[in-house]
Amino acid sequence: MSAGDGFDATPGDGARPAGDGTPLLYLPGIAGHPASSPVLDALAAVGWDVVVPTIPGLDGRSGFHVPEDYLSWLVVVWDALDATGALPCPVVGASLGGMLAADLAVLRPEAVTALALLAPFGIFDDAHPGLDLYAVPTADRMSHLFAKGVPEPFVERFADLGPEDGPVARYLCDVAAANLLWPLGDRGHARRLHRVRCPALVLWGDQDELLPVATSEAWSEHGLPVEFVPGAGHLLEWDEPDTVASRLVEFVVGLPVGT
Amino acid sequence: MEGVKLLWFHLMPYPELPEDFNRTHRSVWVDIDPGLFQPEVVADCYQRYVEQLVYAEQCGFDGICVNEHHGNGYGLMPSPNVIASVLATRTSRAAITVLGNSVALYNPPVRVAEEMAMVDLLSHGRLISGFPVGTSMDTAYAYSVNPGNLRQKYLEGIDLILKAWTATEPFAFNGRFTQMRYVNVLPRPLQRPHPPIWIPGGGSVETWDLCSTRDYVYAALSYYGHLMAKETVAGFWRRVEENGKDPNPYRLAFLQFIGVADTDQEAYRLYREPAEYFFNRSLHVYPGYADPPGYVTEASARARYQSQVRAVVRAKQAKHDLTWDEMVEKGYIVLGSPDTVRETLEDVARTFNCGHLLTMLQFGNMSDELTRYNSKLFGEKVAPGLRDLFADAEDHWWPANAVAA
Repeated sequence: MSAGDGFDATPGDGARPAGDGTPLLYLPGIAGHPASSPVLDALAAVGWDVVVPTIPGLDGRSGFHVPEDYLSWLVVVWDALDATGALPCPVVGASLGGMLAADLAVLRPEAVTALALLAPFGIFDDAHPGLDLYAVPTADRMSHLFAKGVPEPFVERFADLGPEDGPVARYLCDVAAANLLWPLGDRGHARRLHRVRCPALVLWGDQDELLPVATSEAWSEHGLPVEFVPGAGHLLEWDEPDTVASRLVEFVVGLPVGT
Repeated sequence: MEGVKLLWFHLMPYPELPEDFNRTHRSVWVDIDPGLFQPEVVADCYQRYVEQLVYAEQCGFDGICVNEHHGNGYGLMPSPNVIASVLATRTSRAAITVLGNSVALYNPPVRVAEEMAMVDLLSHGRLISGFPVGTSMDTAYAYSVNPGNLRQKYLEGIDLILKAWTATEPFAFNGRFTQMRYVNVLPRPLQRPHPPIWIPGGGSVETWDLCSTRDYVYAALSYYGHLMAKETVAGFWRRVEENGKDPNPYRLAFLQFIGVADTDQEAYRLYREPAEYFFNRSLHVYPGYADPPGYVTEASARARYQSQVRAVVRAKQAKHDLTWDEMVEKGYIVLGSPDTVRETLEDVARTFNCGHLLTMLQFGNMSDELTRYNSKLFGEKVAPGLRDLFADAEDHWWPANAVAA
């Protein structure tokens, strides 16, 4: 598990340092990336060197200023991804990380050898709008991301920073995520997904409150195969780690060597 | 000679929300049931409210105020400029105080520059141009402006408007949020270089700095009265000093709900219903709309987590189950005979060092009759006792052609 030179890893984001194996990039979801993930462990166990870049802002670090538009965001994110030295490689993106990963595959096809998306944002379904997370009182938001309770790593995230800095870091993480997703989480992906050229897989929790399963149809209509994970909410890799891990392992194991 | 300015502020509330509104509806703002609003009632409200604002000038108020809210049951003015244009032609002396326009909501912001210039011309130079950031409900939810970029967009918009009002020739504007090849706002305002700028705000450090460094008036617009506003006002003056500016009382405007009657007891009886309507029905806002990530800066977020006392107070406000006695006791409304009200307001003005007092004499479902009674009594028996305050200070933020009473 490694990070390339210049990778701006921070303890707050739980970034995983890089090693010497074949890299696989994981872009975390709407609530950032706490310390550990059974799914990433499973991918590492089959030999992938899982790299988790710090998405600027999602680390909750003080002093981050949000970019003024989505294109500027992509530049910021791509700078962080390139700094890992992992690309080109398979990319797994969850939630808003899936939105960013899909655009990486669309706009820089040479950088993504395979694409796995876990309930990605990027397309808003007018007929199935889902829950507006940012119109939920702050203290209640986290519970809507999961179908089976908030996992301990998310509860404890930033707790070590203390009663003042901890909530501020959590707020700043929300600021970055909300800025990427405001107001609908639609960045026009439906108009460009046809440009995905690499092997792709989309997994979707059937209990997702933010992106109802009907939203997934737009992804499958544009050529990305969608599979559902029963009993899982929006951050499905935390609700059903075994199911998601086995399917992802199956997907990446099937990839040609050296991808 | 100057003297404290007294302004009459109208929110233009919808007066017929159901009695059980705060139990049967989620919010007065953003997603309020449009079926609650009868167009005929609103039409009558506009007529009545405009006449009340005109009447305020007749009662001797120095300025009349309108503001901007969207998707809101207690503020029926999505476009304050429309009402201001009516007032500009219906009045002759008072400052037309427009405490909208939320600049970041308009694209391009030169539309704001154009409309405010028109109001200034229609009123022959009586416009006060207010530029609020806008509440989270108005901006992030009702208009879906990204809260993380709101303040940057707002500041850029103000820069564009001021340049559009003052540039001597057409210019190109290459901003982060607005790009225009030709900016040439016509007509220009009557007031030169431009109408005075007032910034309505609720207590953010950034707004205090904006006002003090750029010499704009800070209009503290909390609905919760002078006792709750002490911290905000003190914070503002602290930043004025730290930014090296003089403590001119006309740098500040402050909003206060007021109910005047012949006696304290009569005031207590008369204003109970409209106050309860306003604080327990009109301010019933769903808490989820209060805190979109990015709406406040890191510095303000940090300040909020440091202020646990205020958090407790806010939690109580959010319940909307305040009793009438609590409202009075907490100073949400200054209530009483003319002498009682004058004494309190004089003390507030001196303590706050506030040269512009924004009076809220109509609120909630207050009848036209009571509104006029309240306004007339204030004008005749309260205002004269306040006029000498700050007579030695110079008001640099008053419209060129607005004539104080």
